[in-house]
Amino acid sequence: MTAFWSDHATLPAIVLATFAPFAAFFAIMLFTRGRPRLSARLSIGAISVSLACALYLPCVHWRMEQPLEYTAQWIASGSFSIPFGFLVDPLSLLMLTIVAAISFLVQMYSLGYMAGDPGFSRYYAFMSLFAWAMMSLTVASTVLQLFIFWELVGLSSYLLIGFWFEKFSATQAGKKAFVMTRVGDASFYIGLLLVLLHMGNLDILELGGPKATESMSPGFITLAALLVFGGIVGKSAQFPLLTWLPDAMEGPTPVSALLHSATMVAAGVYLFARLFPFFSLSSTAMTVILAVGTISMLLASTMAMVSRDIKRVWAYSTISQLGLMIMALAAGGWFAGVFHLTTHAGFKALLFLCSGVFLHTYETGDIFELSARGGRNLKIPALTLAVGAAALSGLPPFSGYFSKGAVMGALSGLTNPIWALAALVGVLLTAYYSFRVVFVIFFPGSGVAESSVHSHAAGEGHEGGHAETYRAMAWPLLVLAGVTLILGFFEAPLRGFLFGGATAPEAHESVYALMVHYAAIGLGLLGVAAAWVEFGWSRAKRVGLVERWSPALANLFAERWFLDHFYRAFMESVIDKGFASLAHWNDRRVIDGTIDGAGRRTIDAGRRTALWHLGAIQRRLLTTFAVVAFLALYFFL
Amino acid sequence: MIAPFSHVLALAAVVFTLGAYCAVARRNLIMMVLGVEIMINAACIALVGASLRWGSLEGQSFVLFILAVAATEVSVGLAIIVYAFRRAGSFDPDAYNSLK
Amino acid sequence: MTLYGFLFYIVAAIIIGSTAMAVTRRNLVHVVIYLVLSFFGTAMLFYLLGAPMLAVLEVIIYAGAIMVLFLFVIMMIRVDSLEEVIPPFRQRLPAMLLGGLYLGCALLMARGTPGAGASLPLLTASPKELALYVFGEHWFTIELVSLLLLAALMGVLNLGRMKADEAGKEKSA
Repeated sequence: MTAFWSDHATLPAIVLATFAPFAAFFAIMLFTRGRPRLSARLSIGAISVSLACALYLPCVHWRMEQPLEYTAQWIASGSFSIPFGFLVDPLSLLMLTIVAAISFLVQMYSLGYMAGDPGFSRYYAFMSLFAWAMMSLTVASTVLQLFIFWELVGLSSYLLIGFWFEKFSATQAGKKAFVMTRVGDASFYIGLLLVLLHMGNLDILELGGPKATESMSPGFITLAALLVFGGIVGKSAQFPLLTWLPDAMEGPTPVSALLHSATMVAAGVYLFARLFPFFSLSSTAMTVILAVGTISMLLASTMAMVSRDIKRVWAYSTISQLGLMIMALAAGGWFAGVFHLTTHAGFKALLFLCSGVFLHTYETGDIFELSARGGRNLKIPALTLAVGAAALSGLPPFSGYFSKGAVMGALSGLTNPIWALAALVGVLLTAYYSFRVVFVIFFPGSGVAESSVHSHAAGEGHEGGHAETYRAMAWPLLVLAGVTLILGFFEAPLRGFLFGGATAPEAHESVYALMVHYAAIGLGLLGVAAAWVEFGWSRAKRVGLVERWSPALANLFAERWFLDHFYRAFMESVIDKGFASLAHWNDRRVIDGTIDGAGRRTIDAGRRTALWHLGAIQRRLLTTFAVVAFLALYFFL
Repeated sequence: MIAPFSHVLALAAVVFTLGAYCAVARRNLIMMVLGVEIMINAACIALVGASLRWGSLEGQSFVLFILAVAATEVSVGLAIIVYAFRRAGSFDPDAYNSLK
Repeated sequence: MTLYGFLFYIVAAIIIGSTAMAVTRRNLVHVVIYLVLSFFGTAMLFYLLGAPMLAVLEVIIYAGAIMVLFLFVIMMIRVDSLEEVIPPFRQRLPAMLLGGLYLGCALLMARGTPGAGASLPLLTASPKELALYVFGEHWFTIELVSLLLLAALMGVLNLGRMKADEAGKEKSA
């Protein structure tokens, strides 16, 4: 660490990167709420500074061998102390760059998307708040510090989901997201306390080192790891806390792109990658995590197959891709998980931003209606949507192909083939549902062709009026599409960067792994073909396989496997009828009863003793003192 | 070396007597409560002195609780006084003889 | 006599003097001011006797909160109603005699206490030590005190609420 003291620019760069958005948030909230253009400039200026710093840092530390840590004492009490500081290593720098870049693009995009909204300033203030919290989260040096920003990120997510608070469903969705992630966070916090109790320290670098195994028994490590993983489940919307994410789509689309696909929900996966050495100490925990990731991935994919709302489809696919990342990490493929996180941030943000253009132009999210109203005439969004979907399906040469390949490689390294098999099913479903959206929008069925021309004209007129906003929204799409195209080819340099100067462990290429690899490509193509047969083809029926096959199954998927119903029933039967009524009874009968009883007894006693009283207080006082004085004389002398 | 322990106790005794005089002889409810406060303070002095004399923190922690109780007592006492004043219109303790 | 001893007697004189003044003043505002002085003296004494934490608390709670509360009440009430009937000397005599008896008794006890003659050492209990002791040995008492404060709060609130209707009932009766 000391070897790097000569590098003076690193610490200021990090401080600048993280605090610039914070300053913007404060400035907007305090001074410029009434001046939307200035607010937007402030916010974008701040995020540009962050982006510049975030790009500068990896360039300087491209060949770093040792993680850098800048800490200062924050809380010290007795035997444990909590430092507060920055941790700079390849992983945090990579995440910092992702967050800054996507935030920057999304904020530029929002100039068009949010134009004319009455809450424009507020929107940018919250975006800056989020950028600050998220970037501070990535460079936190202790888990406690990370947890603080984790909560702040959750807060900004709540604020942004319920941004259009006049819409009832939006406030409900915000509340739901907040409460469901809080369930996970409570578990995370308990896990933290467990670790803190045993290790007296929450330093990220020491967690998972030899000190953890010395101070905690294997059972405790498993317990703590699973509890911490609870936080990841909440934040990354994994099974069983996954239903908040599709509802979070009530927020503005750029928010969904930034928070609920690319960065905030990925914070869970980031935490997993961050504490990877710690999680790897317990193989039991890793297996459980692998199972949770797999279940989430498959469940969400099935839900995405039947959803008609374009944003919901991407929301489900976010859950399933996050599940895939978690699977990769749990299978030991650290690089695969992180790499998929990186590429996913790019192409999923792209998909959401495309959907945002459709939503903004046609004011509907229903894919069939979009198609009927001529969605394919928006050239740039339609094209980039196809690019994003291809990357999501893992088709070469887009970035998703490379990262999914890495994930498959990691999963095929496991002895039990069931995980790789599940991932392959996931690949098939992913390709199917993403190209379902693309084909539905690209090829409106013959029956609606006439009306499409009609509404196309209306669409043009609408768009013509907003040519400027359309341009503002279009260029971030092109940038992201470009990134999606080329990012995959940077796999090797990225691997070198992430593993530092140390030689990166090469993925061993067994025959089995190769088979899985080709199977993934084949299944991806098969999924695309299936979508083509059902939706793209001119004689296609334009009804999904699942709907035709079994309406009951489609209903099951559309209702999210009845998870929400289960939660509601659980709330009503156990919480409301059980705990709440018990507490109510206790409050009324035991506590109130005792206090009322005590009060009544006191009044009774007072009435009785009052009869003995004469009233002259001071004479009584005098008597009391006299008696005490004589007693003292008697006893002590 | 500060002073003999007995001098601290003597100081406490003097202050206590002053407080007791205040509580007994002054014909004003507020002065009575103030007298009680002075007596409590005298007790605190004795306890802190004893704590130092015997090298034990028991006395000091006791003073801590006394402080809390004194604060409680004053707030309730003053509330009662104000309430009583509204009813009877006097601060003279001898005016409160309706129980007689 | 050491410097500390000298300080002790000065502080003791301040305490006794200001308390005596407080006890004999007629104007209640003056009484409270003298008592504040007395409590400041007590705080200094506590500091001298090795209880810095209690010294600070004495200033904050006694001189600060409690005395200000008294001032509030005094200010709230009409000045003329504070006029005190000064009883004739004949009536104050028993109190004074008893006070003398009390003082004598207490001084005798002070002399008779075991180890009374021992000089006090210069020791200081840091707030940390006090806190560790209090929260280690008397945590339950802390809980009780917090309950007491809560009860006092509720009692005062209740008294405040009763004021209007009860007083009105009194007038109409």
